[in-house]
Amino acid sequence: MLAALVQAGGSFSRPSVDWHAASPELILLGVGVLITVIDVVWKQRARSLVVGLSSVGLLAALVPVVTLAVDGTPRSMFGGAFVVDDYALIMKAIFLLSAYVVVLMSTNYIAEGDYWENEYYSMLLTSVLGMLLMTSARDLISIFVALELLSIPAYMLATWRKRDLKSNEAGLKYYLMGVFASAIMLYGMSLLYGSAGTTLLTGINKAVSATDKPTAVVTLGVVFVLIGFAFKVSAVPFHTWAPDTYEGAPTPVTAFLSVASKAAGFVGLMNILFVGLIGRSDVYQPLIWILAAASMIVGNTVALRQTNIVRMLAYSSIAHAGYMLAPLAVVSADVVFAGGGSVVVADQALRATVTYLAIYAAANLGAFAVVIAVARKIRTAEIDGYQGLFRYAPGLTVLMTIFLFSLAGIPPLGGWFGKFRVLEALISPGTAWGSTLALLVVVNSVVALYYYGRVAVKMWVEEVPDGDMTPVRVPVSLAAALGLTAVATLAFGVGPGLIGHFTEVSLLAGIGG
Amino acid sequence: MTDFLNTWGLTAVIFVPLIGAAVMMLIPEREEETHKLIALLTSLLTLGFVAALMIEFDYGDAGTMQFVQDKGWIDVINSRYILGLDGISIPLLALTVLIVPSVIVYSWHHIPHPGNAKAFLILNLILETGMVGTFLAQDLILFFLFFEVVLLPMFFMIAVWGGEDRRYASLKFFLYTLFGSALMLLGFLALFFLAKDPVTGAALHTFDMRALTASAGSGIVHSTQLWIFAAMFIGFGVKVPIFPFHTWLPDAHTQAPTQGSVILAAVLLKLGTYGFLRIAIPILPGAATTWAPWIGLVAVIGIIYGGLACLAQTDMKRLIAFSSVAHMGFVMLAIATMTPFGFNAAIYGMVAHGLITGMLFFVAGSVKERFHTLDIKRLGGLLISVPKLGWILGIVTMASLGLPGLAGFWGEFPAILAAYNPANGLSPSIFRTFMVIAALGTVLAAGYLLWLYQRVGMGEPSEEFAADPGITDVNTREWLAWTPLLALIVVFGFLPGLIFNVTDPAVVQILDNCLQNADGCTAVAQSALGRG
Amino acid sequence: MSEFLRSYLTVAIFGLVGLALVGAFLGLGRILRPDHPTPQKLESYESGVDPTGDTWSQANIRYYIFALLFVIFDVEAVFIFPWAIRLDAYGAFGLIEMGIFIFILLLGLIYAWRKGVLRWA
Repeated sequence: MLAALVQAGGSFSRPSVDWHAASPELILLGVGVLITVIDVVWKQRARSLVVGLSSVGLLAALVPVVTLAVDGTPRSMFGGAFVVDDYALIMKAIFLLSAYVVVLMSTNYIAEGDYWENEYYSMLLTSVLGMLLMTSARDLISIFVALELLSIPAYMLATWRKRDLKSNEAGLKYYLMGVFASAIMLYGMSLLYGSAGTTLLTGINKAVSATDKPTAVVTLGVVFVLIGFAFKVSAVPFHTWAPDTYEGAPTPVTAFLSVASKAAGFVGLMNILFVGLIGRSDVYQPLIWILAAASMIVGNTVALRQTNIVRMLAYSSIAHAGYMLAPLAVVSADVVFAGGGSVVVADQALRATVTYLAIYAAANLGAFAVVIAVARKIRTAEIDGYQGLFRYAPGLTVLMTIFLFSLAGIPPLGGWFGKFRVLEALISPGTAWGSTLALLVVVNSVVALYYYGRVAVKMWVEEVPDGDMTPVRVPVSLAAALGLTAVATLAFGVGPGLIGHFTEVSLLAGIGG
Repeated sequence: MTDFLNTWGLTAVIFVPLIGAAVMMLIPEREEETHKLIALLTSLLTLGFVAALMIEFDYGDAGTMQFVQDKGWIDVINSRYILGLDGISIPLLALTVLIVPSVIVYSWHHIPHPGNAKAFLILNLILETGMVGTFLAQDLILFFLFFEVVLLPMFFMIAVWGGEDRRYASLKFFLYTLFGSALMLLGFLALFFLAKDPVTGAALHTFDMRALTASAGSGIVHSTQLWIFAAMFIGFGVKVPIFPFHTWLPDAHTQAPTQGSVILAAVLLKLGTYGFLRIAIPILPGAATTWAPWIGLVAVIGIIYGGLACLAQTDMKRLIAFSSVAHMGFVMLAIATMTPFGFNAAIYGMVAHGLITGMLFFVAGSVKERFHTLDIKRLGGLLISVPKLGWILGIVTMASLGLPGLAGFWGEFPAILAAYNPANGLSPSIFRTFMVIAALGTVLAAGYLLWLYQRVGMGEPSEEFAADPGITDVNTREWLAWTPLLALIVVFGFLPGLIFNVTDPAVVQILDNCLQNADGCTAVAQSALGRG
Repeated sequence: MSEFLRSYLTVAIFGLVGLALVGAFLGLGRILRPDHPTPQKLESYESGVDPTGDTWSQANIRYYIFALLFVIFDVEAVFIFPWAIRLDAYGAFGLIEMGIFIFILLLGLIYAWRKGVLRWA
């Protein structure tokens, strides 16, 4: 066996490492290891230190992201398996900032409950590390490794309230569905590898686009890979784990799953779709169209009937996955000149989804932060518990209103711009399928407004059920999380040029599209 | 000062209310008097800015955009921050900035249950920003943004300060209008991708309303134009509201607090008709010509349906709400003729309806406050129990039914007249039929309004209120809030030229343009005044 | 639409074949195997000893943790072999890198030890 390996190596030379490009990941890895070392040495006595360290680590990892963005040149390592371009950088920034907000939300929640703290933060950082890797992964193996690296800690985080049966259920369901999806995806990847002879996405693109290849294997590969990611982003009909997991998991973890983990699924999906499979739009377009339409319709209609706000947000996040998938359903390799210059429809779709992800992240994290804050007083996540919130917590009510209506897409709150870009991407190719999906997005936005609006009415209109008017005490870190997300949500809505500037990204440069 | 107005004047008008609202947010809720004062001063400052703008405005050139501000905003979608003021916007802008201070003055002692003057007045100011912005925006996305900004405050105004059924009414209002505006946004996007330069044929890729109006739909296939127009038709139509999208209106009006009803009736409904005048018809005149008979049809259905529904109402506020449906039908009919004469009539109708129906809702609110009911059967004898209020109600109902010499007449009568002679390309026989039906509608209007006044204003006051000490006549605050509106109703009744002269050049300009550039647009641009 | 159907026909056929295979194997087994049930055969098998107690017997969780720790270090070897072969090319850089790799894995072991996982009682 060893001899065979030596033979196969041939003229081998050490791959060069671009330390600058890899530094966000390395910093996170370092901090994660450091936290474990601290934990090993001081055990739970170091809890407060660990919280601070993980925040600092996340922000420190943001520094090289910024310097790389300022530098601006796309970097590529390991034969093109690890790429740092504008797209990877904006997603890294979104992941790091979302994770930072999640840490702020977790601080008191985890400290006040009877939970392991040091492990919580090291798991969180490990998961974020997987997400950062995912943004740069342009190779089947690195995508899969990144996916597992971000998923496995997330399974554990979902069960963090280990004395609570619901939390156990949450983690177990998430784990079983997750590994099932991984298996399907891995099978699909093996088929793609089999037909292309390489794991590099650019190579796969060349192979699957060629017409003389057997299409059956490629079709199966594409479909299985997409289904694997559909589980990850909780698109209907592969969404069944999401509501139970979201409800049972600790609320900060739910926020993390519904924002960062979902976004990571999208990142992986977009990497494979745009770099590897763009030539096979005949296969993926109908599938994504159906996934998107089904997610919107089912997510929104089921959300209408929810009485628990976390479950409602879970179903709404399924619907949002539908909105975010929608632009991908019109992606194809055909270059259509659709902007003031040569904007490719595919680029526009990518930008729409990235923009939506960023804006959705702010509003959804904010909504969960309010849920955590309110639960400190009312000790429940039932929507009826929110009755009369305005009477004793006007600030939280205003914030929740901002977040919910941003999710609904009401100007001047951020959400409208995300929806706008999605609609723009859907209409730009001028096809009947795209326009129909755009119409579905519109109708669904109205349906969604009903359940968001209902919560708003409960908070603003009703009387407090038990007359308990004591205000909600919001700890500093949670207040910081609320402030950050609220400012972002408003800023995205009033000055969408801000987010628009950063999301002018493309994945097509790498394949010469 | 002139320099400032020319460059930043319009921005100031839009954002002064918002700044006022921001200041109020910083002041604690218990300082109620301070809040009222700041809100009033802010709205008066806005009024002052608008007055200054109106003085500076070059009326000889009312057809061109003035005080234009054009700055980069969202580069990635090529949407710009463009504001402009012309003869069409001026009357509506003035109406808006006049109504808001009235509402605030009226609110001085009338903050509806459950109180909280701070939040209530802040919402009023945010509403003002949205409304003013909509009338000034010259970029479709900016227009859309302001168009939507009014949604949230109005939703909360109904939901928090409304009547018994406020939950249902507020959500219904919200869902209807959001559905409409989301469709409208689709239409805007389609325009962005499809509109072409009329000369070079190159794709425009712009949301600039001036450029899109100049292109007037050239290069877009007629069938596609029809779809885009349909999307905007629903978007604006829900807001107007046109039959059959009107069902949110009676609920919203009945449940809204008085101030909400006034703003809703006086300004918010006009956002829809303004959209037709400014966007839907000038940008897609070809499709508009095809759609015009249908618009006319739903307009007259609205007139008759609104009138009949009024006859069946037992609640005074609901009756006024349905009368709004009928009156906006006249405005839509005038718009559907696609003639300068019709457009002028429509704008006049909008202003008149704003003043008159706003006043009607004010009076209804005051009646409700005194008698704690709006049930027409229980009311009666206002002329005896509260004679001044009764007289005001009398004048306003007369104005509403279109009595010559009051503002309502100049909204209704020219609208009917315009239908006699619609633009070339529109079937005169169809529109003359509409004219006859609309004329019947005025009879109906006279019927239900006079009947209302007979039951509410005349007769003997009912026994149950005889000994109620709370029933007092019009007080100072009410006089302060109402006098400007009442005065304008009379002034505009005698001097219709005050508005017609301002709007005519702009209307001619906007229709003239589509004559020159549009495929299949045959609207004849003639000066309405020159002909009439 | 026919294009759409054609590419998805593959997926449908694949799914059907998958289901058919499961059915075929189970069915084949049923047909081929001798079927002479006796009560004794239905009892659970415990090394020829008479079964006692509930079928739901709990295994000590520590077995699992030990197995897990073993697997980690077992798999580690898979990475070390190819690295050892290429050590020439990697040089000092490779040595340091493998040092970090082993340190992180070792940290896991130390963690388990500090948390008292390795204590059996």
